[in-house]
Amino acid sequence: MKTYDTIIIGAGHNGLVAAAYLAKQGKKVLVLERRDIVGGQVVTESFGDDFTVDSLHAGGTLRPDIVKHLNLASHGLVVDSVRKPFISLQADSNHLVFDVDPAKTVESIKRYSEKDAANWIPFLDFMKKATQFIETANATIMPRLPKGFNLSEGMALAELGLDLRMMGGKDMMRIVRGIPMTADEFVDEWFESDVVKAAIASLGIHGLTLGVYGAGTGYTLMHNWSNRGGLSHVSVQGGIGKITEALASAVKSLGGEIRTGAEVERIQVDMYTCKGVVLKSGEEISAKNIISAADPKHTFLTLVGAMNLPPEFVWNVQSIKMRGSVAKVHLLTDGKHGIPDGTVVVAPSIKYLEQAYDAAKYHQISEKPYLEVTTSGNVVSIHFQFAAYALNSGVQELAPASATASRRTSELWNEKRNLVEKIAIDTLAEYFPNLKSSIVNRKSLTPLDLEQTYGLTEGDLNHGQIMLDQFMFMRPIPGWSNHKTPIDNLYLCGSGVHGGGGVSGTAGRNVMKVLK
Amino acid sequence: MEKLRYTPFHERTSALCQPQNWRRWAGYFVVGSYELTIDREYWAIRNAAALIDVTPLMKYMIKGKDAANLLHRVTTRDIHKMSVGQVYYTGWCDDEGKLIDDGTVARMDETTFRLTAAEPNIRWLMMNAVGLDVEISEVSDSVASLSLQGPNSRVVLNRVCESDLDGLKYFRLIKNKLGGVEVTISRTGYTGDLGYEIWMDAKDAIKVWDVLMEAGQDYGITPVGILALDMARVEAGLFMLDVDYTSSGHAWIESQKSSPFELGLDWTVALDKPGYFVGRKALEKEKHEGSAWKMVGIEIDWVGMEQLYAEVGLPPQIPGTAIRASMPILVGNVQVGYASTASWSPLLKKYIALAHLQKPYYELGTDVRMEITVEHQRKHAPAKVVKLPFYEPEWKKK
Repeated sequence: MKTYDTIIIGAGHNGLVAAAYLAKQGKKVLVLERRDIVGGQVVTESFGDDFTVDSLHAGGTLRPDIVKHLNLASHGLVVDSVRKPFISLQADSNHLVFDVDPAKTVESIKRYSEKDAANWIPFLDFMKKATQFIETANATIMPRLPKGFNLSEGMALAELGLDLRMMGGKDMMRIVRGIPMTADEFVDEWFESDVVKAAIASLGIHGLTLGVYGAGTGYTLMHNWSNRGGLSHVSVQGGIGKITEALASAVKSLGGEIRTGAEVERIQVDMYTCKGVVLKSGEEISAKNIISAADPKHTFLTLVGAMNLPPEFVWNVQSIKMRGSVAKVHLLTDGKHGIPDGTVVVAPSIKYLEQAYDAAKYHQISEKPYLEVTTSGNVVSIHFQFAAYALNSGVQELAPASATASRRTSELWNEKRNLVEKIAIDTLAEYFPNLKSSIVNRKSLTPLDLEQTYGLTEGDLNHGQIMLDQFMFMRPIPGWSNHKTPIDNLYLCGSGVHGGGGVSGTAGRNVMKVLK
Repeated sequence: MEKLRYTPFHERTSALCQPQNWRRWAGYFVVGSYELTIDREYWAIRNAAALIDVTPLMKYMIKGKDAANLLHRVTTRDIHKMSVGQVYYTGWCDDEGKLIDDGTVARMDETTFRLTAAEPNIRWLMMNAVGLDVEISEVSDSVASLSLQGPNSRVVLNRVCESDLDGLKYFRLIKNKLGGVEVTISRTGYTGDLGYEIWMDAKDAIKVWDVLMEAGQDYGITPVGILALDMARVEAGLFMLDVDYTSSGHAWIESQKSSPFELGLDWTVALDKPGYFVGRKALEKEKHEGSAWKMVGIEIDWVGMEQLYAEVGLPPQIPGTAIRASMPILVGNVQVGYASTASWSPLLKKYIALAHLQKPYYELGTDVRMEITVEHQRKHAPAKVVKLPFYEPEWKKK
């Protein structure tokens, strides 16, 4: 049986970042990936001739320190230096454009409100500070409250507090107040035009199952802004998959191994220490440490097994809210779709966004969805919210975890796939009449596909919703916020831990601080 | 409004309960004592046959392919070593290794177990059953139970049971017929004497009571309340939840919690069993490092008591029932622990107590002093740490 220092489960960006750092330390590292390609959520895939898409995320930037430490530029990573505009579509085709040049943005906003236009630059300054705070918070390993924390954890928190204080009293309070606010309240403090407010607030619910009237979407607005470095996506030359390709190349060049098509069936536990993994093929591989980049629910309930874990821990893991509601619709067109370059949103009003979310509450698909659209040549990629993973069958209420419920979810999604495509295309075609006739091929990814193909429990991109009760020291669950687990030598490094959520690599980098 | 309930034996017990001395036990009325004094009831336990209604015990049926796996995970015992018809006494812990509750596990067949507990545990069992093929049901109300304790208990049962109990070993269980009624009988109890517990469908309760009372007439069968039982269990060195320890689920602060080692349950903690069980890591650590506390027996020195009372011109005053109170225990002038239940033992003619002492004072033979009140004055009576149980007749396991 082969033995490694560390096995990493999942070759997504966080798993690969952790692997590269460990390999750099001279550790014997093995990354196991269930799919035949590396990348996890950060993949560029082909779904037919000329139909190559960034499957799940239209853009993303690893933290600059990671890019530097791992020398990713030498592995072919070029982050698009030209940021593209963020465009909020309007029925009169007079779209609201948040340009890379703030002066142009101010001009565009003026059409809606002079006051809002005047506030844009101060708002950008404030968001810069908020971003600094989020970056620092994300780099801080959270103490294991309520177990009490030791001196080193206390110091890290004290530093975080100091950073916040250094921003000055007024901005500090504004950031702290902004965390539990709704995205609507957050933008309402700066802007008066509904059009302007909705465009910015949409970022607060991107990838989440929450509406703009949801508590804590003020935080997620800052979180997503911090990940993107602004409103619009930063796309990657050659596709977002280049990020994970570069990481994989770095891992290999540092002596690490990556095996694809190697699905872990379970993590072997002896009493309360993990010893290795067993693959679906039956192969056993042992390691001193195991780091799971898979989501916490899958890691604990499927790979470790509830039997090997303390009951209260299991209860907490079961209680993690996943509730994915994102679908993707990719269209190959003849090029005449008419959609401008940039990050294009259908977010016409605050009310529209909240009502789009209502569907998720009732386990349905939004008839008037919030869309975020990007184009790459002839390809149009639509991020669709909200399409609830656990669709209401209209027949009876079932416990979501039951076998019958999961079979029903499969059946429903087979029926509803076309509906999501239709709503996405119809919604966008209202703004771009040539879109429908330009479509040559299509590929949609339902929340169920996100689960089955990409291994995301309940189709949740964030490995657990980023909500007030699941963030910071409560992520993934209270008492276990520092990457450690009740199983000795088993750690987490995926999006489900603090620092995760979005394509930043922070969680994969942070785990290094706690590894023994 | 929640009301106290009657056990299925109430029709009989209420007719016999002269002093209206009712106690509350797990939401039920139970008899404290049937007579104005409890001496006769106490002596029935030790010399004859005591019939005690123990229906308020919480009872759970655990069935299914993974029933043994669930109990192996929850309790500290090695359940996979248990044979059908065997009964284990066990505690169960939270993951910090602190006791939640204690009771018995009976293996009814390969995949069916009955668990008894002092308090409701259904949520804890459910929480532990995630991913297991097991069905948990509470049968506290539908299963009635009687405890028949004392040296004559076997001969009384043999008169009315279809198959005799001569071969039934200590902590074993059999299915049987008693006066034509289907019952299971386990050789268990809370007295440290020869004794049995009879488990029956609640609808058969009165019938079983009547058959036993009639069969036991010539053998001194006596309905006994829980006050006499409380004295007997102290002699037997058996502790009680909420009296001698606090469930970790109810404790307000860490220091109120106890581990099984601290309660002297070392023999029930199977650290050699395979796999994870709840509390394992913490229990291994405590085993390795030694326990900070230990529950022991102490005997209060009678001559020392006499001297303290002589100062005020009285003979020693001893309460007629077990006292459930916290009584400080000192070495020199420093408090090193406390007694949680004290009782006069009519059989041993000794004043005894269950005491919780800090390391290293829990070693056998240690001289300590227990606080007593002599005419409203705090005094400290000399006492000695002794082995538990205080009383163990040879027929208990024979």
